[in-house]
Amino acid sequence: MSELLVVEDLTVTFPTTRGLVDVVKDVSFTVGRDETVGIVGESGSGKSMTSLAIMGLLPRGAVTRGSIRLNGVELLGRTDRQMRAIRGEQASMIFQDPLSSLNPYYTVGLQIEEMYRAHRGGSRKAAGKVVAEALAQVGIPEPDRRAGYYPHQFSGGQRQRIMIAMALVCSPALLIADEPTTALDVTVQAQILRLLAGLQKETGTGMVFVTHDLAVISSIAARVLVMCQGEQVEYGTAEQVFSEPRHEYTRMLLESIPRIDDEVVS
Amino acid sequence: MSEPLLRARDLTKRFTVRGPFGRKEEFTAVDAVSLEVRLGETLAVVGESGSGKSTTARMVAKLMEPTAGTLEFEGRDVTRAKGADLAGFRGNVQVVFQDPFSSLNPRHTVERILTAPLVYQGMEPKGGKRALAKELMVRVGLNPDHSQRYPAQFSGGQAQRIGIARALAVNPKLVICDEAVSALDVSVQAQVIELLRRLQRESGFSYVFIAHDLAVVRQIAHRVAVMSKGRIVEEGPCERVFADPQDPYTRTLLAAIPRINPEWDRRRRAAG
Repeated sequence: MSELLVVEDLTVTFPTTRGLVDVVKDVSFTVGRDETVGIVGESGSGKSMTSLAIMGLLPRGAVTRGSIRLNGVELLGRTDRQMRAIRGEQASMIFQDPLSSLNPYYTVGLQIEEMYRAHRGGSRKAAGKVVAEALAQVGIPEPDRRAGYYPHQFSGGQRQRIMIAMALVCSPALLIADEPTTALDVTVQAQILRLLAGLQKETGTGMVFVTHDLAVISSIAARVLVMCQGEQVEYGTAEQVFSEPRHEYTRMLLESIPRIDDEVVS
Repeated sequence: MSEPLLRARDLTKRFTVRGPFGRKEEFTAVDAVSLEVRLGETLAVVGESGSGKSTTARMVAKLMEPTAGTLEFEGRDVTRAKGADLAGFRGNVQVVFQDPFSSLNPRHTVERILTAPLVYQGMEPKGGKRALAKELMVRVGLNPDHSQRYPAQFSGGQAQRIGIARALAVNPKLVICDEAVSALDVSVQAQVIELLRRLQRESGFSYVFIAHDLAVVRQIAHRVAVMSKGRIVEEGPCERVFADPQDPYTRTLLAAIPRINPEWDRRRRAAG
């Protein structure tokens, strides 16, 4: 399998009043084309910082070391301008809260169109067709008409579908999904996970799926990276991590999840 | 069977929303919900967003007046209770909220937070406030030496323990937990669930446990009521609802829960 994304010894450091703090320490993993890698951890584990580092979206003041290569091209040390050309075109990201990622004053169609034309140019008319296709692809009914709706006119699950449409409109090689289903109801979550898995199969996009939810990870990722306090404590195939975890932390985490099918000892 | 501790009959909450052009529209958030909770038992109310579970909790906790229906506590109608009757109700029914930090006053010490319910009740703790605060902290697994600290000095899980300790200050008969463990990390969540179960074993009070996470509910509830669109679609003993759901919505909900491959779980546990 050819590697799409190679992260090597990634360290992210923040200056604080108590000196420099490493929020991500020596994290290394790879994502193949067509592959989903899950990053799982509790709050403060550094999982989101890792994904923001890949996208070049770390907060000001963050210092990165190591290497992040996308299709063989080094991403660390790029200027904001260069990263803007990569974001959306080669690598896209979706977040937990679609409502705060969408502009409430513009129709969703316009926002997807803006993303497309920023990278591909072309007429508004041509882009309109692409937008409708993108919305249809994520299962929005009547895409031509709904493109003219504003974000608040959609449900939470539909808004996340719209974010996914926007992220994929330029057919990026890599999609980073940071807790994309965390804010959603469990039945809607199941739909979005199916949608993401289906789109990935269809388009061959590599995916980094960041979540705190081990059960979600086990249903979508082929390989799993477990993070704890900035460190990579475990990295392997999902089967390996879930059936024979090497690290005590992973074991503890797995034991903590309430199981729906287990006998309850009272 | 003994008289239930709490009985809600046909609780209904309607909201008036202004539609386009200022037209008034009625929206029924909770539609004739009836519940019973017995002493020492945990009733879970589960549902997705917009199901009406939190509105139900707020009405049962008397934080919101129902549009219709009645609420009885220990056989007495408390639906419109005011003044001393309401204070009496609050002395028996306490609430633990989802976000510990927004439900704890950031400018008050833990001691002041924990003794506030008693001050409201006009009671003076026997051994003094400090002793009571320390005792409550020990009960929920917090270090009693930290009673003069402020909420911001605690982690999320610890802050939720403070919220639980505050609910216990008046020795309530019923504790309403509104998504009380939803905001916590999974390892912390497991500890807080264990704490809630231990406290119930020790003190014998009841819980109304509002949650969206069925797997969590499974760990703590004796009975489950499943809500959808303002109504209870299914209610029964926890084991039965999970093993043999009758309502199509309950089945959909159960089927949607992401699961870890049971074979992987089995192998891990076998390996120790």
